[in-house]
Amino acid sequence: MEKKLSVKDLTISFRTTNGKVQAVRGIDFDLNKGETLAIVGESGSGKSVTSKAILGILAGNSIVEGGEIIYDGKDLLKISEEDFHKIRGDKIAMIFQDPMSSLNPIVRIGRQLTEAMLLKGKARQKESKINFNTTLAKLNTAMAEAIAKDDAAKAKVLEEKCKNFDKFEYKHIELESAWNVAHEAAIEAHSEADSLIFEIEKNAANDVKYRLNEIKKDALESIHENVVNANKDEVTAAANALLSTYAAQKKSGDLTPLLPLLTTIRDYTGAAVDYPAPNFFALGYFHTFSGGAELPKLPVDELNVYLRKYLDDNFMLSFIADAKQGLMLSAEKAYAAKEQAISALKANRDVFCADSLDKKAALDAHKKMSEAVNASIDRLELIKDSFAYTFEVGVKAEIEKYFASIAKNAKEEARYAKEQAKYERMVAAGKSPDWKVKPAAVTSLEQVKKNILNQIDRLVEHYERALENRYTRDFDKETVAMIDYLKENASGVVHKVTPDMAKHRAIKLMEEVGIKEPRKRFKQYPFEFSGGMRQRIVIAIALAADPDILICDEPTTALDVTIQSQILELINDLKRERQLSIIFITHDLGVVANMADRIAVMYAGKIVEYGTAEDIFYDSRHPYTWALLSSMPDLDTEEKLDAIPGTPPNMIYPPKGDAFAARNKYAMVIDFEEQPPMFKVEESDTHYAATWLLHPDAPKVAPPKIVTDRIARMQGMGGSDNA
Amino acid sequence: MHNENENEVLLKVDHLCQHFKFTKAVDDVSFEIRKGEAFGLVGESGCGKTTTGRSIIKLYNITSGDIYFKGIRIGAGIRSYQEAIKQANEDLKAGKITREVRDSIVAENNKKIAEAKYDQNNCDKEYSKKLVAECKAKYEPLIAAAAGEEKQALKKEFANELRKAKKTRLVTQIQMIFQDPIASLDPRMTVREIISEGLIIQGERDKKVIDKKVYEMLEMVGLVAEHAGRYPHEFSGGQRQRIGVARSIIMEPSLIIADEPVSALDVSIQAQVINLLNDLREKLGLTILFIAHDLSVVKYFSDRIGVMYFGKMVELAPSDELFRNPLHPYTRALLSAIPLPDPKYEKQRKRIVYNPLAEHDYSVDKPSFREITPGHFVHCNDAEFAKYQEIIK
Repeated sequence: MEKKLSVKDLTISFRTTNGKVQAVRGIDFDLNKGETLAIVGESGSGKSVTSKAILGILAGNSIVEGGEIIYDGKDLLKISEEDFHKIRGDKIAMIFQDPMSSLNPIVRIGRQLTEAMLLKGKARQKESKINFNTTLAKLNTAMAEAIAKDDAAKAKVLEEKCKNFDKFEYKHIELESAWNVAHEAAIEAHSEADSLIFEIEKNAANDVKYRLNEIKKDALESIHENVVNANKDEVTAAANALLSTYAAQKKSGDLTPLLPLLTTIRDYTGAAVDYPAPNFFALGYFHTFSGGAELPKLPVDELNVYLRKYLDDNFMLSFIADAKQGLMLSAEKAYAAKEQAISALKANRDVFCADSLDKKAALDAHKKMSEAVNASIDRLELIKDSFAYTFEVGVKAEIEKYFASIAKNAKEEARYAKEQAKYERMVAAGKSPDWKVKPAAVTSLEQVKKNILNQIDRLVEHYERALENRYTRDFDKETVAMIDYLKENASGVVHKVTPDMAKHRAIKLMEEVGIKEPRKRFKQYPFEFSGGMRQRIVIAIALAADPDILICDEPTTALDVTIQSQILELINDLKRERQLSIIFITHDLGVVANMADRIAVMYAGKIVEYGTAEDIFYDSRHPYTWALLSSMPDLDTEEKLDAIPGTPPNMIYPPKGDAFAARNKYAMVIDFEEQPPMFKVEESDTHYAATWLLHPDAPKVAPPKIVTDRIARMQGMGGSDNA
Repeated sequence: MHNENENEVLLKVDHLCQHFKFTKAVDDVSFEIRKGEAFGLVGESGCGKTTTGRSIIKLYNITSGDIYFKGIRIGAGIRSYQEAIKQANEDLKAGKITREVRDSIVAENNKKIAEAKYDQNNCDKEYSKKLVAECKAKYEPLIAAAAGEEKQALKKEFANELRKAKKTRLVTQIQMIFQDPIASLDPRMTVREIISEGLIIQGERDKKVIDKKVYEMLEMVGLVAEHAGRYPHEFSGGQRQRIGVARSIIMEPSLIIADEPVSALDVSIQAQVINLLNDLREKLGLTILFIAHDLSVVKYFSDRIGVMYFGKMVELAPSDELFRNPLHPYTRALLSAIPLPDPKYEKQRKRIVYNPLAEHDYSVDKPSFREITPGHFVHCNDAEFAKYQEIIK
């Protein structure tokens, strides 16, 4: 599975007047494509801080002490604010807990909803263009190198091929977007007509004129060669008659004469909705290069076969063969460079093993290594090698930190010594000072050095593995993926969002998230909405941007069950449709059961248990997970709830041992003394928990009765294992 | 959790309507709450459940209908009477009734309006008058009988009690716990000031008595006496909600309206607060109107549940019965949306969509609130009534 995001050893603290609060203490997780990862925990467990770090919006008093967040070959902790603008909201979007803080109070809802769509539409067009052109150019160069060698004539032929690809790609998109507009209009006209018919029959239609206008517009738009074609005259006639019929009937209020017209539109557009799409890619080629030949009159299915063959015979197969050679050469070169990079890394590693680093030598070594590593990156690889891409900045940042810390540490220690001395003087004089000495915040130089070495070793190991696997790569598949990537970006170039389209989509989104009378609501201001409604708007805005990763920070906590359920379904559908990766933060385990593929339970800044949804719900191992599961009532709970006593620990002085020990009725002596490592649960490959109870020498403890009872009971209700 | 006083009705809401300009926030809602029971009110946001709670505690002047608390009418609206007069005038114009009939209708309704207005404004005065009379009856003979120092002490006590009786309001016996424990506590007041405010308004001036009561309340909600000197921001969410609970129970209320008391809290803290409310119910014999949207919590907490939809009460039943035999389609939709902590169950859970237009045909046959089986009410018309009775057999 493709990793979208990986968080490694993330540690974040906050400076406060009372001392340093350790909010996140070394957490690791990966997020795969099309997967939902749920982070569960109480408030103050660090789950929101983690998500804010991913989005680069940590509060000003935060200190990122270490770790990395890798997305698309970049370490999000180390990129500039400029670069973050391209990611935030566009690639990674977030739904916040408090809707009011993410809405602008003086801008109408409609504008806020469409703003992102319009801005993003433009940005995406631009980006797709860049992607398409650079990738194609790189491919061209690689192909020329692989096949043509120094033969100028051959190179010319290849260049021509790439140009042709470019050309008919554009034609393809023109055709496809025209079809898309018509097809979407058909879907719209069908569903709108359907619901209006229903409401007129029930005599409960409102806002009729506006809706008729919409239906008319959609119905006329849906007329297209491959959408509504055979019955286009009937549909046009019906659509044009709608408004005049309505005007004639307005006085009497009897809308039934509209029904036959609407039924015509509904039926014909409904049939068109199911028509298959022609193969536009091939069609584009045909139109561009057939030299005006007649397109055979065939049903769409057969036409597609015909077109496909035409394309393959004339162009595609040879292009693929050439592209494959290009890719292979590029990879081959990268492998050679990787070997060199490994030796460069190994040669320069010793510089960082010294007791104290020399600035010049360190920077020099960094430069040499980075050059070798950057040369070893295969720029034609679609899935970016994040280790290699982040190496240069990552190591650089650590080196800078090292030298900055030397001065800072000295200052801190001096301050501490001074204050401590003063404190002791006061104590010696018999006073009891009402303040405490803030401990010296010293950065461990050893740790920084270790981080650097780790990064080097990791990359070496990664490259060695890549070299081992070099013969098992499937270049056919990769070539096809490359062509798909080019196709996708090309369609991004022509996909233009007009204000009208944006409004249309916004109103649809508002309907989807359950806002009644969206057309009226569209023009209102945020203060005119209730809390639940505002949250829905925020969700609609986040979804409007069509992001790659969606972070949901307690999105439904303030909503009632029906809407919660609707919104969760909406998010789930989007995930399926767009292969969206979701980080879902919540404290409600019921919600998690529905959404999550994997779950991470957090407590006091650490992940205490990590596994698939089944692992956590049916076979949880950490006492904190048990406590969470047993403190919520379900529909059959009768006995007294098992509340967790006390409150989470003060993270200015985190406990020495397991942070949960003080509230844990299963705590053992060792829990108060030493932090448990992540134990792997034996029966499962995906399940980990940080509790001493999993240590081989620990006594066997069964989960509380309330938890096991519920699992047994749910089995009876169609849950668990009754499959 | 069973109520022993099956029959004693503490609160009766009768055809309550609360209209704001164009919105019918609450429309013709009737229910009774018996002494010692926990009555749950559920529904989606904007369905009028909070408005119902606030109307009961007289934060709004209700549009029409009556609210009886301990048998005394504490709230009354006049819209329905005004409409009756309007109707009579129209009928007279249309010639359906004679002028005499019209006059008698108008006179009767005008009288009702006057009564309603009087009750709406003066129920508290009447109540404190009654208390004053009781107080006088208790102390006057005692004072007359006593002599010397004892007489002075009694006189002082009498003055104190009399002042309190004059200031006591009937509605203070209904107290509210709010949803947001941060917003509902004044950040500039100490916990002692917050909790004792009600007592002071009621006329208590003895610092010792106030302190003793405040400490007692703090202990009762699981806090300690030394917390009294602190400010709200020094507490965690769960503790703040406990302060809110302490503030309401110090007035010795008989009815508590808990408006989403746990929605803003963490799961583990939720359990603490729910357990606390349950303990207090047993200890103090409280009656609770529990407003929430989390059905699992409502089910766990309440004896009877009313389901509201767009200002209307659509179903009312004992909680077990409601979850076993939900009849109204909206209730079914609501129950089908409850998430449960079990992934396999969740993945196959089907949500039912409620579309009032498709479900009901009320064009001819008008619906009303009817009893299907004893204690189980549904908002339905004749055809649906027959259908539901069939289902429940």
